[in-house]
Amino acid sequence: MGPGMGPETLSDRVPIMRMGEDLLITLQGDLDDLTVESIERGVTSEVARMRACGALIDISGLDVVDSFVAGALGRLVQMIRLLGAEAAIVGIRPAVAITLVQLGVSLPGVTTALNAEQGMARLRRTRVNGNTGVRP
Amino acid sequence: MAEYPLAEVEDLYSYYSQMMDSVTDYAVIRLDGAGVVRSWHAGAQQLTEYAAEEIIGRPIAQFYTAEDVAIGLAESDLDAAAKAGRHQTEGWRVRKDGSHFWAAVVLTAVHDRDGASGYGMVVRDLSERREQALTLRSLEQMVNSIADYEVIRFDLDGFIRSWNQGAQTLTGYTADEVIGHQVSMFYTAEDARSDVLEREMAGAVRDGSLEVEGWRIRKDGTRFWANIVLSPIRDDEGDVAGYVKVARDLTERREQERLVQQQRDEILELSTPVIQVWDKVLILPLIGTLDSGRAARLTESLLERIAADQAEVVILDISGVPAIDSGVAQHLLETVAAARLMGTISILSGVRPDTAQSIVHLGIELGSLRSRTSLKDALQLALGLVRARNWTGDGARDGAGDVV
Repeated sequence: MGPGMGPETLSDRVPIMRMGEDLLITLQGDLDDLTVESIERGVTSEVARMRACGALIDISGLDVVDSFVAGALGRLVQMIRLLGAEAAIVGIRPAVAITLVQLGVSLPGVTTALNAEQGMARLRRTRVNGNTGVRP
Repeated sequence: MAEYPLAEVEDLYSYYSQMMDSVTDYAVIRLDGAGVVRSWHAGAQQLTEYAAEEIIGRPIAQFYTAEDVAIGLAESDLDAAAKAGRHQTEGWRVRKDGSHFWAAVVLTAVHDRDGASGYGMVVRDLSERREQALTLRSLEQMVNSIADYEVIRFDLDGFIRSWNQGAQTLTGYTADEVIGHQVSMFYTAEDARSDVLEREMAGAVRDGSLEVEGWRIRKDGTRFWANIVLSPIRDDEGDVAGYVKVARDLTERREQERLVQQQRDEILELSTPVIQVWDKVLILPLIGTLDSGRAARLTESLLERIAADQAEVVILDISGVPAIDSGVAQHLLETVAAARLMGTISILSGVRPDTAQSIVHLGIELGSLRSRTSLKDALQLALGLVRARNWTGDGARDGAGDVV
């Protein structure tokens, strides 16, 4: 991350909200190479800065979800995991799900959920299981 | 009668003879009172192939067919001319070689200065015209015998020029009521306003013919769904001279198609019922043969229900599916994958031993698919999964929640 690229600036461009130990990232509109790059910068720096335990990526606001977007999402999830946090994708609409399956994209190993609430619950459970292996 | 000097008469006769010889499309023959040929000329020879010396002095019956001679037609024609002064008739006549031609004959009674009577006979070969007339009439009859089709002709401005029985049956109008009227009288008010006719005529000229379907109006104001083929008629120069329109009533077929589609939709709806059996748990009982159309619809309706009910687990019960081929298995796994992308777990239930064998032998990648043999077991697993998933880790432990 360059010194000029403050996290505030980036979170302005990519809506990132803090919810307890987790981050909620809301993607909207159309994704192109440039946007994806700035999202990656914004999300990774925020996860690191906040020492977030989990990150939810809400894609219900995306206009188009194709194999390019799916690839970008898969990479984003991996980056978040490398920073020690769990990631989940929420808000995949029925039509988007069908399209992705037909494109052969099934985002293997990526946690998904219907909505932010469920996604959050799932992240926490994974965290508990992953960190301690036992229930509290 | 005026007296003419002999020289002048001879001049006149010579002029007259030359003129007669130049007439080749007609035979103009002089007959005496008994109907015997007294004069002959080039046109007569061309028509009948007799030379003057062969025919002069022969009776007119020479040109009649044997049947007509037998009934004394030649004599009765002469009588009619003698009585009325002029007699016009058409009929078969015979050439020298025995071949027939269709002749238009005008017999005129003439009287010379001595009061002796005779006849002037003008004969014209109408064989070709008769053939054309017959062709036209047979075409007309053919067109009229097509009872189910409207076959009509209209001119460049859309004014109706011919009408057939089928058109009458279809629209309820008789020929008298429509000929001379614009063909747009059958259009709906909206089509008539928006220059549909002009566009259709232009399209027919551009592409050689135009097929359209649309609503048309009958005489009684009811409408019918018409299939229409419009073709331009071109004259010898290749210019468009009018249009032929062939139309038929497809109202019934359209209605049937609509009904079939509606029934198909209803059946599809019925055959893909999604049942909510528990909070956040859906069951999709699959019954009967799955084709790709049904499978696609099934996937779609299941995912919509998942979104609407926010279901976390869905059970795909295949105990009612007689056979699982690779297509069906592929569809099922795609549905499972799409549901997972939305965040929902799928459980396959009702897998029989033979189904298990065939799915694996088909080489289909199962991934993390969960499966149970009975619906009861599947439901138990589903409820466990829902409890575990909703256990947030910061509340009291939910007894049944288990490792997922």
